[in-house]
Order: sequence, then structure tokens, then C-alpha cells
Amino acid sequence: MNSRLQVACAWCGIGFVAFATLGWWIIAGMLPPISPALDAASVAAFYQANTGVLRTGILIGMISCALTIPWIAVVAVHMKRAEGDTPVLTVVQIVAGTVTVVILTFPFVIWTAAAFRPERAPELVQLLNDFGWIMIVMTFPPFFTQLAAIGVAVLLDKNARPIFPRWVAYFNIWVAVLFIPGALITFFKTGPFAWNGILAFWLPLVVFMGWYIVMFFVLLKVIKEQQQSAAV
Amino acid sequence: MTEQQIDRSKAPGKVPGELGVWMFVLGDMCIFALFFAVYLFYRTEDLDVFVSSQQTLNQNFGALNTILLLFSSWFVALAVIDVREQTGKFAPKLLVLAICCGLGFILVKFFEYREKLQAGIGITTNDFYMYYYIFTGIHFIHVVIGLALLLMMWSASRKEITSENGIRMFESAGIYWHMVDLLWIVLFPLLYLIR
Repeated sequence: MNSRLQVACAWCGIGFVAFATLGWWIIAGMLPPISPALDAASVAAFYQANTGVLRTGILIGMISCALTIPWIAVVAVHMKRAEGDTPVLTVVQIVAGTVTVVILTFPFVIWTAAAFRPERAPELVQLLNDFGWIMIVMTFPPFFTQLAAIGVAVLLDKNARPIFPRWVAYFNIWVAVLFIPGALITFFKTGPFAWNGILAFWLPLVVFMGWYIVMFFVLLKVIKEQQQSAAV
Repeated sequence: MTEQQIDRSKAPGKVPGELGVWMFVLGDMCIFALFFAVYLFYRTEDLDVFVSSQQTLNQNFGALNTILLLFSSWFVALAVIDVREQTGKFAPKLLVLAICCGLGFILVKFFEYREKLQAGIGITTNDFYMYYYIFTGIHFIHVVIGLALLLMMWSASRKEITSENGIRMFESAGIYWHMVDLLWIVLFPLLYLIR
């Protein structure tokens, strides 16, 4: 039994939240987001001020995204136990999870490009800034698919003693649904559905980070139960 | 068996459906409560635009949809009672009626959106219409999901449902549909009626 390895993988999810917060928010200062209504000169000024610190924070944010890879694996291992012989939804979760890692990583790369030559034409800095923010907020479908797959797999668990508690299914579906308003940022530059708005950004962000914390404790419990049932 | 099921539904501390569904309903309603708070906050910031735009909405369509959803909820409640007590074979017929009401809701919404779009009013026209399209749109998605659940209930009810688990699933889907109804009952006065 590789329980300790599994626990380490679960901790990677918490590590992602911690290091993303450290790099993206505390060091780079990219939260709250730069307003999409801001003019090009002001956006360029953001990247020109403290460029070195900004680059470092973005770099830490980018590295943190890889921590979600072991996390996806440990979720998949227990989904497989819930699903049995033909773990279709487990595969869906792995594929969707892989895409989410890419989608999380890329915005940091794009913002790095903006901070790489902040003295260039302000419109170009604004373009890269737009690209990064739109990519991280609007691309909800892979996240949605990943969490919906977890939810459905938990609901369909036919084990006499289900692997995950059933509320985990409803929790995942609820979180998945909350990512959807992110799609609306394409229409707005101000208000609650802009990329810095409460319903398109802050609510999904808080729920997304909270999802890692809740699922972390669920995973610890599931790993412990697996260990106990193997010991009997 | 029948006696036990009736007892179960009336026993203290037991809820219809499963607990997870109630958690989901609570979570979803919290989100809508946040939606409504945001809407009311921005409404007071720009009251003239909101009130004048609100008057262009077709209240008849809104009222008709309220009636359709209330009736469909009633049919679903009757179907759940019918299945739970296994008194007769009315559940499939009741569910067909409920589904027809749901489809009616979608049809009315289609005409309502078409009327607005033909008048050149879109999601970016002003803040009021932004909320109007997004909130009714998100509710619309709830209705479509609910209709899929009603279809599953209908297909399940054509055979006799005897297992405890089967009845619980049946009740859970019904609870979701009542939530869809309840959300509309708050959404309708908020968008169409308040002055």
C-alpha cells in the first residue's frame, strides 16, 4: 500500500493553492485583476513598474500549476476504485485535468511575455494582458468537464461501501456550475461579469481554491479508509 | 412495504430524497441570492435606466411562465405522492403534463427573447438587459436540466418503483424541479415587477 505517496499527492493540491496565491497575488500583485476597462498606457505602466518582482511572482505562479498533476492522479486512482472495470469517467477526469494544467500554466507564460519587454508599444502589452486574463477566466469547459466527471462517477458508485461520500458528487457538480459565468467576460469590460467582476471572477476563484481544500480532506479520509480495509 | 415507505416519509428527522440534493439546492440558492444582491446593488446605482428598461419587458410572458411552472411543480408533487404511496398508475400521466408545462415555458421564453432581439435589444444594450439575459439564461439552463430529469422520472415511473433507492431518486429529481420553480418565482418579480 502506497498511502504515504498518495497523501503526498493530495498535499500537492494544497501546495498549488499556496504557491499560486504566493506568486500570483502576494509577489506579482496581480490580484485584484487589472481592470479590463483600463487604457493601454495604464496597463503598460503596471508591467513597467517593479518588473523584476512581477516576473518572479509570475514565475512562481507558473511553477505551482505543475503541482496539480499528482493531485489529478490521486483523484483518478480513487475514482477508478469507485468505477470498477471500465473506468470511463476516470479517463475523462485525467484528460480534462491535463487540459486544465495547460490552461492554468499558459496565462502565466503570456503575462511573462508582457513583462518581458514592458517598454514596447502599450497596445501590445495590453493585448498580452488581455490574452492572459481571458485565457484564465473564460476557459471553463475543461474544469467543468473534470469536476462533472468526478461528480457523476461518485453518484454511480455501485460498491457496497461507496468510496466517496455521496455529498462529494453534489459538491463537485455545484462547483462545476459556478465556473460557467466566466464565459460571459467576452461581452463586458465593467460590472459583475467582467474579468474582474464578482460573479465572473471572484466567486469562481474562491470556489475553485475552496474545492482543493475540501477535496484534500475528502482524499485524506478516502486514503485512510483504503488503508484500513486493506489491513483487515 | 407500502406502509414502511409512508412511515419513512413521515418519520421525524428524515427528509424526502437524499441529503446531498438538499445541499445542492441550498448551494444553488445561495448563488442566486448573491446574484440578486448584486442586481439590487447596481439597480440603486442607476435606477432610471433600470426602471425604464424594466417597463419594456412583456409581463404577460413572465406571468404565463410563472403559471406554467407552478402547475408543473404541482403535477410533479402529485406524481411523487402517487409513486410513494403506490396508489395507482397516475404518475406517468402527471409527469407528461409536467413536461408539457416545462416545454411550454421554453416556448414562451423563445418568443420573449425573439421579441426583444427583434427590437434590437441585446445583452450589451444596458446593464438592466445584461442582468435580464444572464439571469433568465442561467435559469433557462436549469429548466433544460430539469426537463431531462423529468424525462428520467417519467421513464422510471412507467414501471412500478418499489425499491427504497428508486423512490429516493424519484423524490430527489422532484426536489430539483421545485427549486427551478422557486427560483423563477423570485426572479419574476425582481426583473419584471418591482418598481
